[in-house]
Amino acid sequence: MIKVLVVEDDPHQRVLFSEELVAAGYEVITATNGKEAVERLGKETPSIVVLDLRMPVMDGLDALGRILAQRNDLPVIIHTAYGSYRDNFQSWSADAFVTKSSDLSELKSTLRRILVERGILKETEKA
Amino acid sequence: MSGIHSGSEILVIVLAGGQGERLYPLTRDRAKPAVPFAGSFRIIDFTLSNCVNSGLRKIYVLTQYKSLSLDRHIMVGWQFLHYDLGEFIQTLPAQQRLGQVWYKGTADAIFQNIYTLEHEKPAWVLILAGDHIYKMDYREMIAAHIKHGADLTVGCVPVKAAQARQLGVAEIAANSQIRAFHEKSPNPPTIPGQPDYCLASMGIYVFNTEILVRRVVEDAKRKTAHDFGRNIIPAMVSSDRVFAFHFRSPAPECNTYWRDVGTIDAYWESNMDILSPNPQLNLYDEHWRVHTYQEQRPPAFFGPGCGETRESFIGSGCVIRGRRIIRSVLSPNVVVEEGAEVEDSIIFEHVTIGRRAKLRKVIVDKNVTIPAGTQIGFDRDKDSSLFTVTDGGVTVVPKDTIL
Repeated sequence: MIKVLVVEDDPHQRVLFSEELVAAGYEVITATNGKEAVERLGKETPSIVVLDLRMPVMDGLDALGRILAQRNDLPVIIHTAYGSYRDNFQSWSADAFVTKSSDLSELKSTLRRILVERGILKETEKA
Repeated sequence: MSGIHSGSEILVIVLAGGQGERLYPLTRDRAKPAVPFAGSFRIIDFTLSNCVNSGLRKIYVLTQYKSLSLDRHIMVGWQFLHYDLGEFIQTLPAQQRLGQVWYKGTADAIFQNIYTLEHEKPAWVLILAGDHIYKMDYREMIAAHIKHGADLTVGCVPVKAAQARQLGVAEIAANSQIRAFHEKSPNPPTIPGQPDYCLASMGIYVFNTEILVRRVVEDAKRKTAHDFGRNIIPAMVSSDRVFAFHFRSPAPECNTYWRDVGTIDAYWESNMDILSPNPQLNLYDEHWRVHTYQEQRPPAFFGPGCGETRESFIGSGCVIRGRRIIRSVLSPNVVVEEGAEVEDSIIFEHVTIGRRAKLRKVIVDKNVTIPAGTQIGFDRDKDSSLFTVTDGGVTVVPKDTIL
């Protein structure tokens, strides 16, 4: 089963995203901010990260660089309500940029696309 | 100039973090760009002067190894720009924003400074090396970049094929678009019609900022050397619009004068080039001044016993009583005692050459006293037992040596 690290400070969203991704067939682990995410990577080996940007303690942009410094092959999807970050060069290190919505179909299709592109998931395979 | 409103749209990043191992022992205690050159200067002064003389005044100097001397030189010598006007020359040590990692290569140095690019948001980034000797108006290269609608423009210069094996070499089409790029190839392709020469990369680049960011990000995710010459440019040649810009100088006499003073022999030769009666790179050209920092010292003094001195730079504060000084560079505060002879040599600051000492083809680093009667540069075997002697026959007396 493919393990997704969801980094999200809002507890309700964290539960919502986790439940939806579990229902879609992923194993989900979570972190509540960038620092925790970086620490989790020291102990766990997720296949992909879904990363919020505006978070306390350590924000997503700062965490993104540190995540890649630890594992430069780890795909990261930025998942934020703030579309303006698309223009921020720091966000360009991510594999994809998804604007938050109550409908998670874009997040799920992007997850699948990146996993297939990276050869982690076969085209015909379910998560 | 077409397409450029002002230099403020261009951010300059000078890569000054290389170790300069082949210049050892001159780089034992200082980064290569901080190695003294032609008496009054440091190597990086040539690049920084080119920037300022080209109207480019937003300059970051990326440092890493042994940067104390370089930092200090830039702090005391290059702080005349006005930050309120958006102008600066600032050193940028590895920030370790991404964790405890140093710059792994030239492209990684840019990747690790994406935050800086985001902060400045320039239209173009001019990436320069901090360790080359030349005069160049970068505005011409930037204008060519814009005219070609290029994503990347690589500054190129013809060099002899043997020398090109140490460099990146471009193969170009008639319109100057680069068709292939070979980094440090044992058999670099020569220029059509000029079988002894290759079109070498000077390691200077104009990038559209967005392309630069995308390409260094892609490279950061791969297992590569994270190097512009080895990884980024060869990959971009097939996917992007990459052009060569043929180096030319604002001073016609030094149109082909570009030196990567990467070895002791190349460093010595370049100093000697500048001492020649009709130098290709003229330091006395008021139209393209090379700026530096010098401590306040009295003028050089030539005592009653001093003999012949010619074809030499004599720095301020020097006291010359010696018999002969020929084709030599004396940095400030050098004392040459009675009867001493100095030929084809480069003497750094705070060196005393004792009575009747004789030096030939020697580089003496800082804070050394050559005892009376010592001869260096006349007996290769003896010199080799004490100092570094190069293939070209240059003897180097390292900094603080006690003889």
